[in-house]
Amino acid sequence: MLIEEFLKNNAVRLADKPAVVCGDQQVTYQQLYADCVACAERHAEEGREPGTLVPLRATPTIDYLIEYFAIHLGGCIAVPLAKDLSDEEFSRYAVELQDAEVPEGTADILFTTGTTGKSKGVMISHDTIMADAENLIDAHKYSSDLTFIIAGPLNHCGCWSKVFPCIIQGATIILKDGIKNLDDLFLTLESATTKVATFMVPSSIKIAMEFGAERLAKLSDKIDFIETGGAPMAPKDLQRLCQLLPHSRLYNTYASTESGIVATYNFNEGECLHGCVGPAMKNSAISISPEGYILCSGRTLMTGYFNDLQTTEEILKDGVITMSDFGKLDEQGRLWLIGRNGDTINTGAYKVEPTEVENAAMEHPAIKDCICIATPHIVLGTALKLLYVPTDQATVTKREIALFLKSKLEGHKVPLAYEQVESINMTFNGKKDRKSYRS
Amino acid sequence: MKEQIRTLLEDALPIVDLDSDFLLGELDSLGVTTILMLLSEKFGITLESSDVTPRNLKNLDSLVKLVESKLQNK
Repeated sequence: MLIEEFLKNNAVRLADKPAVVCGDQQVTYQQLYADCVACAERHAEEGREPGTLVPLRATPTIDYLIEYFAIHLGGCIAVPLAKDLSDEEFSRYAVELQDAEVPEGTADILFTTGTTGKSKGVMISHDTIMADAENLIDAHKYSSDLTFIIAGPLNHCGCWSKVFPCIIQGATIILKDGIKNLDDLFLTLESATTKVATFMVPSSIKIAMEFGAERLAKLSDKIDFIETGGAPMAPKDLQRLCQLLPHSRLYNTYASTESGIVATYNFNEGECLHGCVGPAMKNSAISISPEGYILCSGRTLMTGYFNDLQTTEEILKDGVITMSDFGKLDEQGRLWLIGRNGDTINTGAYKVEPTEVENAAMEHPAIKDCICIATPHIVLGTALKLLYVPTDQATVTKREIALFLKSKLEGHKVPLAYEQVESINMTFNGKKDRKSYRS
Repeated sequence: MKEQIRTLLEDALPIVDLDSDFLLGELDSLGVTTILMLLSEKFGITLESSDVTPRNLKNLDSLVKLVESKLQNK
């Protein structure tokens, strides 16, 4: 069954139940499905052919969800892009997707950071969507009496993947535009009439504990579970969250756009183990390569990278994906994360390839050379920093560079720190010496 | 104090227009929490989720007022 068939069934089974709430707007399951069908029919009348790759901005709105499901109902492929993407970048994606072909069964393409300085499109099948949703339902016990708050980007697997188990089970989704308005988030949690759950990256959990510990503690009986992932959470933060929410299930999950959602661990059930992400989920299998890399297999894997067979073959062979993370399995089959290979920088649970940032920065006429490195950050733990060498006699402010990069990249790829330097450290064979900048 | 706050925030949030009269509209989750954390740390005050209001984050002047009122109530 496809996710849209569950939506259709719930339009009858749970007709008047709120499906999605966003600010003052709300749609029931019956309305949501009717709106999706009407939207799909409108696009068909406008001439959209089945198989078309449709880019759309993943705004945290009901309209976005309607557009998304309508794309599938019309037999097309959805390509959710960052909500704050510039018009120039959106057009670039639209051109790249025009007349392109993807394997049969592809549902979505999600773009992630790429080592070649360009984002990679991860192709997700309809079956993968279902397999991820089944994993979450099985492990986290989603049910129709749950209200799930999604307060993060809907084009990234962490938040996006939660839409599907909610739809399948007939839960209510509340969409929030980030946790910028933390007070509003707490008010939503406090006023919920059912048990609630959410997904938050570690930096967001830290923020909630920093500025709302007392309010969080009062919600202990109401919060059914919180899932986190995407970045390591400090041991003291794990313990503090357990103390604040003794009755809630608290999960640390191992997932990526390429592998899907593969393992999860409740760190509020006896042992609070740092680095443990639990056993493989229902539709997944995990092993460790002789070199120590985590290997994932099962129905949750991507189909491949869009228009990039070479990169696909580098990590996906015979139904097994080799992750960039090092790990180990204990005697109970639980996965432990040990570290990560490569130059990828994890900032606020977003993985960013420094080359992508550097290539964009090099397009600025006042920059002669640059390197993107990791730097400690008060909120994120780790932020991006751009060291740049200006062209002769050029003067450029960090705000000018930041705004330039904002027009080229998704928001999380724009460095927060900048420093003008005389030169960039190079290795003996002429490559950027990234290791020399690591603390 | 206003210039102190400006310097502090300029360094941490390069994209944000600190002269805006609708500062909250300029900020994302990260921006809001960075401001709360930096002000808490710099001025030794306690800020909470309920302090994030359009009024308190209207512009730099309103941030100064927020800090001053927290300092007075310490």
